[in-house]
Amino acid sequence: MKILFRNGLLFDGRTLSGGKTDVLAEDGVISRIGTGLDDNGANEIYDLSDLIISPGFIDLHCHLRDPGQEWREDLLSGSRAGAAGGFSTLVCMPNTDPPVDNAALIRYLLEKGEECDGSRVVPAGCLSRERAGNNLAEMGKMAIAGAVLFTDDGSPVSNTNLLRLALQYSSRLGVRIMEHPEDRSLTLGAQVNDGICSTISGLKGWPSSAEASDIFRGASLSMDTGVPIHFTHVSTKESMNAMRISKASGCTVTCDVTPHHLCLVENMVISGGYDGVFKVNPPLRSVQDVDALWEGIRDGTVDAIATDHAPYHMDEKDLPFQESAFGIASLECAVAAILHEWKRRKDLCTLEKLLSLFTSGPASLLPEKWRTLGVIAEGSPADLTVIDPDFERVVDVSKWESKARSTPWNGRTLKGWPVMTVVRGKVAYKMPDHLSRVK
Amino acid sequence: MEWKQRHVLDLDTWKREELHYILEQTSSMDELLDRPIKKVPALRGKLVVNLFFEPSTRTRVSFELAEKFLSADVVNWSASGSSIGKGETLRDTAWTLEAMGADAVVIRHGAVGAADYLARKLKKSVVFNGGDGAHSHPTQALLDLYTAWKKIGSLERKKIVMIGDVLHSRVARSDIIGFSKMGSRVVLSGPPTLMPRSVDALGATYDPDPRSAVKGADIIYLLRIQRERQDEGMFPSLDEYHQIFGANESLLKLAGADTIVMHPGPVNRGVEIASNVADGSQSMILGQVRSGVALRMALLFVCLGGVRQ
Repeated sequence: MKILFRNGLLFDGRTLSGGKTDVLAEDGVISRIGTGLDDNGANEIYDLSDLIISPGFIDLHCHLRDPGQEWREDLLSGSRAGAAGGFSTLVCMPNTDPPVDNAALIRYLLEKGEECDGSRVVPAGCLSRERAGNNLAEMGKMAIAGAVLFTDDGSPVSNTNLLRLALQYSSRLGVRIMEHPEDRSLTLGAQVNDGICSTISGLKGWPSSAEASDIFRGASLSMDTGVPIHFTHVSTKESMNAMRISKASGCTVTCDVTPHHLCLVENMVISGGYDGVFKVNPPLRSVQDVDALWEGIRDGTVDAIATDHAPYHMDEKDLPFQESAFGIASLECAVAAILHEWKRRKDLCTLEKLLSLFTSGPASLLPEKWRTLGVIAEGSPADLTVIDPDFERVVDVSKWESKARSTPWNGRTLKGWPVMTVVRGKVAYKMPDHLSRVK
Repeated sequence: MEWKQRHVLDLDTWKREELHYILEQTSSMDELLDRPIKKVPALRGKLVVNLFFEPSTRTRVSFELAEKFLSADVVNWSASGSSIGKGETLRDTAWTLEAMGADAVVIRHGAVGAADYLARKLKKSVVFNGGDGAHSHPTQALLDLYTAWKKIGSLERKKIVMIGDVLHSRVARSDIIGFSKMGSRVVLSGPPTLMPRSVDALGATYDPDPRSAVKGADIIYLLRIQRERQDEGMFPSLDEYHQIFGANESLLKLAGADTIVMHPGPVNRGVEIASNVADGSQSMILGQVRSGVALRMALLFVCLGGVRQ
């Protein structure tokens, strides 16, 4: 199987070149990169004039609800949603039912993932047994089986000794620990950002310190053990400062931020009439916090953008705000939301910086064997994402591949969309009537 | 004036003229309450459902009296706990009520936004927010405005000092909006642990010392202190609370002889307010209760399409 992509603007994972480039994918591997490549023998040829061809986007953090909560999402619907959203690789979170805390479930997810025709799915395993926060899960066996991260996401690892042991124990496994930063004693019953939103709504406030204090704790443990730690869905100005200080002092800490924390603000909870669609953990934050996250992208404090796609059934979301589930579904519009917001914040950072946070950034946080996913180079896997930076489209959640039927972006017109996703050398998604297939 | 508010969810969308209009309508209803026969046929044939998910005596009885004085058909829908706990969603309850032909639904619910949610789901019925979590209690604010307006006249450039648990108080949130819209200046006081983070977003200021806050106050408004706040460790003891933040005679003296004292009830005597202040000549507490019935009559009448020349 040979696919030739002609005339694309090449983003190789680090830099965006101005000229037109051809990329040839052969049997799942990128075999040639150049100009005017010979199309001899190509099964399919696409003309990518004015479009960006990038390494396939990697989502470090999404919830595919499989096994056990398939009414919300499953591996197939999630994998197709991911491809439709421009992601060629999804890291699925282990807070399922039962939790993914053993090698058998890691193997189940990898095997089932192989059968899915959308994004490549690679699993994260739990840090603690039963995700209960008491004892180490069998991280060694899970690493051998193919787990790419260890996390109790959905919950922090509140027991500081356990987190320290996990860092020590995982040091030889080559699989990173990912912490959901939240001090639960500060967020009990909390629903919205502690600030304007909590003040006006009367809903209990979720203070920024609940996140920043956990980042400082984790950074301190990382310094102590010499083992890297990753913080996911970092959402506030204070947390960005915590990351900056920790990085500057030599801790091997990294973080990701989400599209909703980069594009939406706490006031939307109020202006939206307390619609549960705006409810998420951590909550939507202040304008200053959102600005600080973009500043973190600009100055390199942010290492990746991850969706935290958290699909729920409408019966769990369409409730009064306080009873609605925490979580925003976004796989199929996250990239567009980011590109749209980036344009709105003109010149804040370069496009290649932004694209690297979907590609080489997250790839560098995965185990060694997956890192070539983050680059376009001869010999690297043919996982590709094609972006049309000028295309406008309205988000219509009713047409999603995902089982989720609500998203804060529903009905919004966004500019800048992924129009094709290639996984293992096969076209996993192509926007209807958009790309011209030459052959 | 042409009435444009379909529901009564919160006062944030109201204009000052609308507040004034309701105060004047309430005044007429207030006169009705002095008559030997209080019942008028204004809402005959209208079905009003009182949907109370939280225990409430005052608000529920006040609404029920107002509905009955206007001759509406009244149904008290029994509901307990959250809609999830009850096994039926609020959405299904809403559609059931509409299918039964409710012209208006009064909802009291522990969840913030429950009234907004109900209003989104109902195509025809008018929704009255009888209190949603710590968010909003518009009818309480309106009856407070009416009580103060009746007693001291124009509320423009008046100073109202609210003391107590602003953090958990829907009454405070709605009253701050209401009094601010009428042109009053709102000063909040109480322990810092019971204050919301962004007081300025409410258009109010915060003075941690009630003794300096009440100077020059036209109205002192005490908020109820719930005992569980002490259990949650938000302040050390009720005794200490009373000593530092409670309204007693010496605090009242710092304010002035014309200052009126208000409280949404039920009163915790010896906590947020001393008995001799609650029962004293400056107290408007029972006036507020009476105003509540008149105000709710006026609102029901106006929102359910009553016409008055």
